Amino acid sequence: MNRLNQLPTLRITPSEKLSLNYRGKTVQGVAGDTVATALYANGVRVFARSLKYHRPRGLYSLDGECSNTCMDVNGVPNVRTENTLLKDGMVVKEQNVKGSADRDWLAFIDKLDWMMPAGFYYKTMHKPAAVWPVAMKQIRKAAGIGVISADYQMRGQYDEMFVKAEVTVIGGGAAGMSAALAAAESGQRVVLLESRPHLGGCFDYRVSTTAEGTPLYQRARELAKQVEQTGNIRTFKHTSMVGAYNNNLITAFQVGGATDAFTERYIEIRSDSVVVATGCIERPLIFDHNERPGVMQVGCAHRMARTYGLLPGSEAVFSVGHDLGLEAAVDLFDLGLKINCVADIREDGQNPELMLALAERKIPVLKGWVAAKAHGGKKVEKVTLSTVEGTVNRQFPCDLLVASAGLTPVTGPFILAQAKMGYDSLTGYFLPTTVPEKMFPAGRLTGVNDPAAIEASGRLAGLKAATAAGADMGNLVAAAEKAAASLPGPQRGCKLVTAPVKGRKSFICFDEDTTIKNIKQAIEMGFDVPELIKRFTSAGTGPGQGGIPGHNLPLFVAKYTASINTPVPTTVRPPLVPTFLATYAGYNHHMFKHTPLHDSQIKDGGIFRNIGVWQRARYFSDDFDCKEEILNVRNNVGILDGSTLGKFRIHGPDALKALQRVYVSDMSKLKPGRIKYSAMCNDDGCVIDDGVVVKLRENDYYLTTSSARAGQTVEWIRYHTRFDGWDFSLVNLTDAMGVINISGPNSGKVLAKVIDIDLSSEAFPFSGYQEFTLKDAIFVRAMRLGFVGELSYELHVPASYTQAVWDMLKEAGAEFGIRNFGVEAQNVLRMEKCHVILGSESEQRTNLLDLGLGFLWDRKKADAKTVGAVALRQAEKDVGRLKLVGIRMEDDNRPARDGALIVDNKVRGYVATMRKSFSTGQAVGMALVESQLADTGTRLEIFEDECNGVRLYARVVAMPFYDPKGERMKS
Amino acid sequence: MALILTCPVCGKRNGYEFRYGGEDKGPRPAEAGLTPAAWCDYVHMNKCTAGVLKEWWFHRDGCGSWFTTWRDTTKNLEVAQPEASK
Amino acid sequence: MFWKSKPLWGSKTRLKSNYDAVIIGGGLHGLATAYYLAKEHGITDVAIIEKRFIGFGGAGRNTAIVRANQRTQYNVPLYKEALDLWPVLTKELDYNLMFNNCGNLNLMHSEAAMKSARMTIATAQFHGVESHLIDAKQAKELVPALNISEDITFPIHGAMFHPPGGIVRHDAVVWGLAKGAAKHGVHIHQHTEATAIHTEGGKITGVTTSRGRIHTPRVLISAGGYSAGLIYQMLGIKLPIAVLTIQAMVTQPLKPLLDHVVSSGAYHCYANQTLKGEIATGAHMDQWPNYTTQNTAHYIKHQAEALSDWLPCLRGVKFMRIWGGLADMTPDMAPIMDGNDHIEGFYMDCGWGYFGFKSCSAVGKYMAQFMASGNCPDMLKPFNLRRYENHQLMGETAELVSYTPNN
Repeated sequence: MNRLNQLPTLRITPSEKLSLNYRGKTVQGVAGDTVATALYANGVRVFARSLKYHRPRGLYSLDGECSNTCMDVNGVPNVRTENTLLKDGMVVKEQNVKGSADRDWLAFIDKLDWMMPAGFYYKTMHKPAAVWPVAMKQIRKAAGIGVISADYQMRGQYDEMFVKAEVTVIGGGAAGMSAALAAAESGQRVVLLESRPHLGGCFDYRVSTTAEGTPLYQRARELAKQVEQTGNIRTFKHTSMVGAYNNNLITAFQVGGATDAFTERYIEIRSDSVVVATGCIERPLIFDHNERPGVMQVGCAHRMARTYGLLPGSEAVFSVGHDLGLEAAVDLFDLGLKINCVADIREDGQNPELMLALAERKIPVLKGWVAAKAHGGKKVEKVTLSTVEGTVNRQFPCDLLVASAGLTPVTGPFILAQAKMGYDSLTGYFLPTTVPEKMFPAGRLTGVNDPAAIEASGRLAGLKAATAAGADMGNLVAAAEKAAASLPGPQRGCKLVTAPVKGRKSFICFDEDTTIKNIKQAIEMGFDVPELIKRFTSAGTGPGQGGIPGHNLPLFVAKYTASINTPVPTTVRPPLVPTFLATYAGYNHHMFKHTPLHDSQIKDGGIFRNIGVWQRARYFSDDFDCKEEILNVRNNVGILDGSTLGKFRIHGPDALKALQRVYVSDMSKLKPGRIKYSAMCNDDGCVIDDGVVVKLRENDYYLTTSSARAGQTVEWIRYHTRFDGWDFSLVNLTDAMGVINISGPNSGKVLAKVIDIDLSSEAFPFSGYQEFTLKDAIFVRAMRLGFVGELSYELHVPASYTQAVWDMLKEAGAEFGIRNFGVEAQNVLRMEKCHVILGSESEQRTNLLDLGLGFLWDRKKADAKTVGAVALRQAEKDVGRLKLVGIRMEDDNRPARDGALIVDNKVRGYVATMRKSFSTGQAVGMALVESQLADTGTRLEIFEDECNGVRLYARVVAMPFYDPKGERMKS
Repeated sequence: MALILTCPVCGKRNGYEFRYGGEDKGPRPAEAGLTPAAWCDYVHMNKCTAGVLKEWWFHRDGCGSWFTTWRDTTKNLEVAQPEASK
Repeated sequence: MFWKSKPLWGSKTRLKSNYDAVIIGGGLHGLATAYYLAKEHGITDVAIIEKRFIGFGGAGRNTAIVRANQRTQYNVPLYKEALDLWPVLTKELDYNLMFNNCGNLNLMHSEAAMKSARMTIATAQFHGVESHLIDAKQAKELVPALNISEDITFPIHGAMFHPPGGIVRHDAVVWGLAKGAAKHGVHIHQHTEATAIHTEGGKITGVTTSRGRIHTPRVLISAGGYSAGLIYQMLGIKLPIAVLTIQAMVTQPLKPLLDHVVSSGAYHCYANQTLKGEIATGAHMDQWPNYTTQNTAHYIKHQAEALSDWLPCLRGVKFMRIWGGLADMTPDMAPIMDGNDHIEGFYMDCGWGYFGFKSCSAVGKYMAQFMASGNCPDMLKPFNLRRYENHQLMGETAELVSYTPNN
């Protein structure tokens, strides 16, 4: 196909050839082409088949308002080829066809539409019931458009960007550019977003002139140049705005060009004010076969010629309802298109200059006429025109039918920003009746069409936006208001939706194959609200995001029901333009915290798990039972990275009061240099944390929390003291300190080689605390604790020195055979001692008493208003609560699995943790059981998953299972 | 939605920096003679107002303050303190 | 055309001044209760009062997943019955609810999660509900698109596979139940707002609506996320509820890719393919109360990041539509069904969080029984409101509660 290569409006570079592979053949396009225009240039007219009826579909809007030209490009399904720039070597395939788009074996379905009225799925295929599963399989196969393979890997670089500005302008047409330029006069930062690869909007391809005689395309290029020369305007081209949220957060994505480092880029813009200058799209005209290939909208036909140099047909009929249609007819005629007739829906109100131009070119014009039917199979061959009333018909041959009922403003940004939309009876538009704060409409979506008025409305909106963002624009706003008012205002819009047809083959939604007849059926069934009709008929829920039916549906419903005086708009939802998950995901960093010992744990063979916000070494054994790790701690010495432990310092005159509030124990009895183990409860008395508190000195405490709670401890303590006005400081040291736990009968001997303090039980007893300095440099807090039930020291070391201390201990321990142990070994060791891990041996309902930790609770400190005390008192005597007990299997070789149920005829509890204990040879664990089963000696019936009716049995036994007197950890 | 809250220390910040802390119910009731129902009312029960609500927020990714502010739950927007509640 | 279009749920009727029962909220629970009241208990003089249109709220905004693998013995039998009712209702209502019995996979990402899944599975099996623990490889066989490699944020350890679950076309349930209720004489009043409930001597006497006053001895509030606010506003009863906005979204339609519902607690994300071919996915809630159904920029991005990890082929697919609905959350993730207690003749059915859809069929049946007899059926007894003051939270979630918005 020959291109019109010399037009000044072109956005292609005809000399720069690119090729693409279409259905196995190489096809040529040029730089600047979209995939669809390149295919069109090569004679492709049928791009796809429709979802339900497999009707042939062609180029219609050129702006992605329907899925007509959605294709598979490089393995990516549902690509809108009409606004995807051609890149060399692309591989393009049709979708949803058996055979090809041209010859689709499933095209016969189009004849079966009588079987498929609105909502027919709901009324059929369920009788008899056995039919449905079979039918469903077929429905699934037939549904869907594109194909993605389960192992598909999306290629490309996906960037993300977070921008701050005072003013954001959505839309880079004449109004948007004027707004950006006006706002920029304030010196504020302005962001301008344009979805096409170039600025210009509806001026970009038009040769009609401004009042001064400048062609509009030239005026647009002047404005674009000014924009580019204005330093405080940041322009994002090829960037589709997709979301608008309150407080004027705007999201968009940009398609990368040849020289960009990204394939697509997600952009989030926070600005004080927003100008919406998104202009209009066309409101489709509905008639029989209104979506045959060869039927296209005015802008599509016009831009094909002016932007891409492709005359879209040879012989045309126009059926339009606005002046842009007449303007296009004149211009396309001058470019060589034969025009057999222009039917204008309007009886009057046309621009007289355009009427004169049509007459001069001897183009026949029928006023009050409309297209009623497009004839032809895979492309239009002939059209029947009729009067709007349907009284008289005439037929004209054509291979191009340019059809458009009117304009429809792109109000998506307003709707997303929660504007209330109302019907404007002059323009026939839905316009915002209450504009969201600091959001301003500009340009054609306000109803104006005059070029000067478009620019003036943009300037006014830009000045207002800058003012709203805090600039002082003096009397510029008033002047701009005056200027805008002197120009032509909103024009009366055409409101016709359908030609006078029955509507069986008149499509209101192309993506979902919804006809006018379907809409009538839905209304008759009681679905009389557009939103409900959308749900029932699917109209407007396809990949075109409602671009085709969005405006027509409410207009038609209002007319057809006649009970509602004003049309009710349908809603739109983000993303306004379908957006790749890859684009939204951006960099998609994986963020976990590493302990100061992370690298050395890897080197030592640790197998890691992501636990909460941390990565932790769970195993140092290929044997996940961790037998060697465990026995080495019991019999020798093991070393563990405990750095994830929550660590805090609280100090100040009211520090003790705060501790008394959140801990159940009485912390006033704690002596300097001593440690107290205690728990925190919530207002239900349920345990949320446990750990130790060290009194460093008067009004100064160091405390630890479980790893999982560390992130909430500050807010928890502050929350429960928020009414008191107490004076204390609370510092989170979790990341600042590493923790090394060295445990086992030989741990003291190892430690003694590294430090020279007295480690005897008299000088440093169980539950004792010491501070010392290693190598004159490293400050260490040491606690003697016994979570694993052996002689055990916990060393808290500044993070930057933790590795050094670890290395010293490893070196010192080498002669004893010291080895790392991980979180799982620790889990078993502590289980044998019946030391609980919250969340493992407790759940939401478990209170302090249920866990057997009631001894921690000091009831006498009523003044402290201890969190949880009220509920504990109230629930103390309740029966039937789940209590924590120790259990031992009757068969020591068959431990129940964690999570097995304790049952009789009902569920009575469950096994929290159970292991075959290497230390005792018994299958022991802890379970939460109803209180009536909690007495020692009670036989428990255990129901495990996949047990096939075979029950296991255990008995409640005394806790702990290992070293019940605690001699090993205390001696 | 894009919530912005005004921290008394840090000023206007992205809502995701904060932790919600519940409807404002005032200080906890005196413990003497407190019935389970009254305690439950304080701990668990909400008015679930569709409209402007006084509530607690914590600036988690910021200064670490608890503060109260007013927010319209039908819009997810912070609002100035209404006259009637001053 | 092989049938004529006629109004599905009756012609528009005038609002009478007397009804035997008034149900506030034309969502799934209200419609189901009305249907069973009329069909099983002969109480046909029922008005449903709906402020917008039927199915406007959660009924039309959920992602249509059904399952019966809850955690506690109180919930499992209720959801099991709900699950068993889909084919029955399809037949009874003569309306295709499009139950796609595809099974649910709940991914587990740690040893601790596997352990808690085992407890849930044992509970299901104990109650005769099919559910199994499978490993990552078996999960991949069921869902070939799964990424079971180690280098993602939450590597997949295994899954809870629950074959009886699946998806039901949620809109069809709304319209089918409306059709069934109307057939038995129930009046469905759309675009009608209940503005006050009247009591006298501790008994319900009537309801005022935007279209006039109704005398009635029985009122049910089953208005989904709006229930708690209405109950406090109209009757002064406070509930342990926080109303949060929950979001969901769909991709462009694809040919069959996912044959099961897949979800992940760690990623806060589920995905399933609708019969139309869209991948429906969602689950996020901003953790503060809202009555807006707006969505957030934060979440659609989060969802893309999550899916990029565990269903990476979807990176080449586009999101098409995101929306929000309300979830009325309770501290123990279990609903409140109660009545005839604080006020005679007043019933409530709320606090469903995001479980309102999967339960609606069975709940309608039992709430109808409750309202017809005035006595709480055994099935619903554990869900009473007083459990909170009695320190008997249900334990449907294992997560430790700290405070707010759930506490």
